[in-house]
Amino acid sequence: MKILKKLDKFKLTTLPAIFIVFVLFVLMLGFYFINALPAIEKYGINLFITNIWQAAEDPAKEVYGLAAPIWGSIYTATIAILIALPLSLCYAIFVNDYAPKKLKHPLIIISDIMAGLPTIIYGIWGAFILVPLLRDYIMKFLYNHLSFIPLFNYPPLSGYCYLSAGILLGIMVTPFAAAIIREAYAMIPSVYKEGLVALGATRYETTKVLIKYIKPAIISGLILAFGRALGETVAVSLVIGNSFNLTYKLFAPGYTISSLIANQFGNAILYKYMTSVLYSAGLVLFIIGLVVNILGLYYLKRWREYVSH
Amino acid sequence: MSHIKHKTIRMIKDKIFLIVVGTLTLLAILPLFHIIISIFEKGLPIVMERGLTFITGTLSEGGIGPAIVGTLMLTFMATLIGLPLAFLAGAYAYEFPDSFIGRGTKMLLQIMLEFPTILVGTFIMGLLVIPMGSFSALAGALSLALILTPYVAVYTEEAMAEVPRIYKEGGYALGCTRAQVIFKVITKMAKKGILTGILIGMAKVAGETAPLLFTAGGLYEVYPTDPLQPIGAIPLLIYTLVQSPSPQDHQMAWGAALIMLLIFLSIFVPIRYALKDDIKL
Repeated sequence: MKILKKLDKFKLTTLPAIFIVFVLFVLMLGFYFINALPAIEKYGINLFITNIWQAAEDPAKEVYGLAAPIWGSIYTATIAILIALPLSLCYAIFVNDYAPKKLKHPLIIISDIMAGLPTIIYGIWGAFILVPLLRDYIMKFLYNHLSFIPLFNYPPLSGYCYLSAGILLGIMVTPFAAAIIREAYAMIPSVYKEGLVALGATRYETTKVLIKYIKPAIISGLILAFGRALGETVAVSLVIGNSFNLTYKLFAPGYTISSLIANQFGNAILYKYMTSVLYSAGLVLFIIGLVVNILGLYYLKRWREYVSH
Repeated sequence: MSHIKHKTIRMIKDKIFLIVVGTLTLLAILPLFHIIISIFEKGLPIVMERGLTFITGTLSEGGIGPAIVGTLMLTFMATLIGLPLAFLAGAYAYEFPDSFIGRGTKMLLQIMLEFPTILVGTFIMGLLVIPMGSFSALAGALSLALILTPYVAVYTEEAMAEVPRIYKEGGYALGCTRAQVIFKVITKMAKKGILTGILIGMAKVAGETAPLLFTAGGLYEVYPTDPLQPIGAIPLLIYTLVQSPSPQDHQMAWGAALIMLLIFLSIFVPIRYALKDDIKL
């Protein structure tokens, strides 16, 4: 009776929805675990630390190692963040401090449009416009003149490579990180700024101090952008070259977990273990994504509590 | 003397800073213009050449009609499935922000918001497509619904949290139950925010490709009718066409991208402009 009293009509209608959402999430995690198990049992830890991809009709000859796509996912997302950090930071500073009033709204709306633009549009632009541009003007130049640096000494033949994927991802996640940083920057109480200006600080000096104040928000913005870059599929799979290359060389074609799944899942059923291997790859992406997003959201929450006090 | 010199150096630093910030901001937003210009440049000729056939014809007739209808159907079905779930979950997270389940729900919704969408696709494939034996519009819509739900729920929660508490108290003071206060008073007051969330969620899933790769299947020669049969979608079609080696297919892809960009901009820009006053500056 006591329980029934606690459940009013509101809870009775909403709880089933909450229940479904939770169940779906747990089901998804469980589903990936169960489907990944056969491959993990067969190949053990080698599945995640070796780089090999041998599909064969005979299950005994099938050998898989996911090191290259796991590395590729993290590597390209890192390049993306390195690009997004200066761009989003400068965007936030410019919109808040420097932009004329008339420009502020358009700038914010442009960035929001970029954040919401369907990823396939970035994909087609990346594959046909960005990659040839990068190859002809940047990669060839770096390869011809600076190839004594190991990062650049892979011949940029097609242009489809880690660097292209990283740059495209950087362009895609910049508006997302920028939105978080800009909001945080706008939330800084104006007394701090006024105080700094009263002390005779130039705009540059003022900004330098204020940026330190929103450090947690910047970190969370970048972590969340990293998570987004990790999970991006179609745009990356169109520009990364899709080959199993375990290298740090920027101009080498590579793979990411999501592009591997996008490319191989369709014909994986033909082989005994490939589907399970791909689910293992999905599980890795699932877990990295979960950790990254929880970390990012934690920083964001901490920052909001810090500001509200 | 040295005092003046010091001041000049500071001023020069300030100027350099302004130039760097301005340039990088321009660099950050430049790709959008480049994307829009290139899509018009490459897509417009093909759309003009084919005319109305491009919008209504099937793929072999040189059009993307079935894909447009497929995108509309998938978006509509996904909204139908996801919306009730999202609204109720959002309302719960709003009403119990401090309880264990309430906090957990909000956290989970935010995590799902950022989740790799391809994983949703492969999940639905294993759950629905393999047991049913065929790709289907239903599977595609379900995977899109899973992506739409957290969006709409988070927007609903935020829109409700914006409503001043006094209205809630007024509702209780009049003797309303919790369900009445939230579903009648708060929901009505947060209507604009919730509707925006729904529209943005729909725009988001209409542009998704990855979750459809292994669920929708693709259908471009006839118009879709049966929800249990495979269905096509514009982003999926573009993805397939881009990967084809033939230049004619690439042309089609640019045309389809133009149509998609126009649809996206015509929905997204007005919504964003309507919300202009909510931007914190």
